[in-house]
Amino acid sequence: MLYALMGLGLSLITGVLNIPNFAHGALFAVGAYFLFSAIHVVGNFWLALVLAPVGVALLGLAIEYAGIRPLYAAGHDYQLLFTFGLSLILGEGIIVVWGPIGFSQLPPSILRGGLDLGFIFYPKYRLFVMVMAGLLVLSTWLFLEKTRYGAIMRAGIENKEMVSLLGIDIHRLFTAAFALGAYLAGIAGALTAPIRGLSPSMGVDMLGIAFVVVALGGLGNLLGAIAAGLIIGVAQAVVALYWTEASVAVIFAVMAAILLVRPQGLFGIR
Amino acid sequence: MSRAWLAVLAAVVVLPLTVRHAIATEIWIFAIFGLGLNLLLGYTGLLSFGQSTFFGSAAYVAGYLLKQYAINVFVALAIGVVVGAVSAALVGYLCVQRSGLYFIMLTFALNQMFYFIAYQWTTVTGGEDGMPGIGRPALLGVDFRNPLAYYVFVAALFLLSLWIMKRIVESPLGKILQAIRENDVRAEAVGYDVPSFKLLAFIIGGGFSGLAGVLYAMLFGIVPLEAIGFVFSGNVVFATLIGGSGSLYGPIIGSFVFIWLSESVSVVWERWPLLLGVAFVIVVLFFRGGCVEAWARFWSWRERRRALEGIAQ
Repeated sequence: MLYALMGLGLSLITGVLNIPNFAHGALFAVGAYFLFSAIHVVGNFWLALVLAPVGVALLGLAIEYAGIRPLYAAGHDYQLLFTFGLSLILGEGIIVVWGPIGFSQLPPSILRGGLDLGFIFYPKYRLFVMVMAGLLVLSTWLFLEKTRYGAIMRAGIENKEMVSLLGIDIHRLFTAAFALGAYLAGIAGALTAPIRGLSPSMGVDMLGIAFVVVALGGLGNLLGAIAAGLIIGVAQAVVALYWTEASVAVIFAVMAAILLVRPQGLFGIR
Repeated sequence: MSRAWLAVLAAVVVLPLTVRHAIATEIWIFAIFGLGLNLLLGYTGLLSFGQSTFFGSAAYVAGYLLKQYAINVFVALAIGVVVGAVSAALVGYLCVQRSGLYFIMLTFALNQMFYFIAYQWTTVTGGEDGMPGIGRPALLGVDFRNPLAYYVFVAALFLLSLWIMKRIVESPLGKILQAIRENDVRAEAVGYDVPSFKLLAFIIGGGFSGLAGVLYAMLFGIVPLEAIGFVFSGNVVFATLIGGSGSLYGPIIGSFVFIWLSESVSVVWERWPLLLGVAFVIVVLFFRGGCVEAWARFWSWRERRRALEGIAQ
C-alpha cells in the first residue's frame, strides 16, 4: 500500500510535469525525519503525522518554484541532473542534521502490540498503516477523479498546451502537482518510520521501487500506479517469506520480466 | 594530427607532473567511462542513467578472476570489455523499446537491480565492504605496482579508446546514430532499424564502461559497492554534461573538472556529496551548456565591462 502511495505521487509528478524526479526518494526520507523531529517538538504522534507531510509539501513547493520551473525547456538530461543533485543535497543534509546513524521510532501507544484477527496475529500499527494508506490513495483518487482541480490535473497529463490555451495557469498547476506528489511521498515516509525505522539510505532504496511502480503502471497512469504498487508489495512479501536476501532484487526482476512481455507496462497505453 | 589531439597528448604528459599519479590515472579512467556514455548521450541522444551497471559488473567479474586466479592483465581487460558489453546488451534490450522518461527510469531501475545483487551477494562481492585484494599483475616485465608505469598503461589505453571512439563516431554507424538523435522517426522511415542501432550503441558504450571498470578496480585494488551504485551513474552523466556532451572531447574536459572537483571538496568536508549536489544544481541552473559555454560567457562579460569602462571614460 505504501508502494502505491509512492508510485501515485511519482506518477503524478512525472505525468504532469514530464520530468524525471530523482528526488522523490529523498522527499520520502525527509518525511520520515520530519515526523521524528515533529514528535520531539510537539510531543504528539498524531499532530506530527499531520505536520510532517505538510512540511514536505512546502519543501516541494519551494523546489518546484525555485529550481524546476526554469528547467521545463531544458531537456531531460538537465532536469535529471538537477533532481539528482537535489537528492544528494537532501540525503546528505539528513546526515548533517540528524547524523549518519539511524533511529527507531515507536508507534503511538494505542497502536502498539498486535491484534488477533482469528487466523493471524498482526501488529496493530501495520494494520493502521494499511488502512491509512488505503484511505490516502482513495482520497487522492477521488480528488483527481471527482473535483475540478483533479480534472485540470488529469487534463495536464493529457495535453498541456490545450490546458494553458483554455486559460488555466499551467505553472500553478505544475507547482500544485509537485507539491501534492511531495506530500504523498512525505506521508509515505512518515508512516514508514515506525515500521522500518529511520536511516539516511531509506530514500534511495525507496526511489528505485517507486520508479519500478511507475514504469509498470504506465507513465502518468494513476490507477496503474496504484495497482502496480499493490502487485509489487505482494510479490516482495511473498518472496521475503522464502528467500529474504533476494526480496529487493526480485522487485526489479519482476519488472524486467513483465516489461519483456509487455514493454508498455501493465496498464500503459503509450 | 589536429589541435585537439595535441592538447590531449600534452595533457597526458603534463598531468602526472602536476597531480598525484593515482588522481591522474583516475582522470583518464573516468574519461574512458565518459566516452562510453557520450556515445549514447551525445551521439545517439539516449540519456542512460545506469552506466555504472556495466562499469561495476566488469569490475566485479574481472576483479574476482584477478584475485582468485591472477589472470593476465590483457585477459582481465578483455573480460571486462565483454562483461560490460554483455550486461549492456541485456539492459539495453529491455530499454531501447522505450524512449524519454521511461528510458531513463528503466536504466536506473535495472541499475538498482544489479546494485542489490552486488549488495546481497556478500560471499563474492563483499557487500558493503567492497571486494578488496585485487592485484596488478606485471606484464612483460613491467611492474604495474609502480604508479607511474600504471599511469602510462592507462593513458595509452585511453588514447587507444579515444582513437577507436573517433573512428566510430566518424564512421557511417556514427552518422546513423546522430541521425537517430536528431530525428528517430525519420531515421526509421529512411529504413534504419532504430532499436537495433540503439542497442548497438548501448553495447559499444557498455564495452567502454567495462574497460574503465577493470582499470578502476586495478587502480584502487578494490571494487567498492559504490562502483555499481546509481550515484556513480549520475556522476558520469554530470561529467559528460559539464564538459559538453555534443563533442567527442567533452567528456575528457568533464572528467578533469569532475575528478578535480570531487578530490578537492572531499578533503574539505566529510559530507562532500552535499557540496557535489550543490555544484550539480548550480551548473544546471546557471551554466547549462557546460564549461565551453561558461568560458564564452565569461569572455563576453569581460568584453562588455571593457566597453562600459570605455564609455565611462
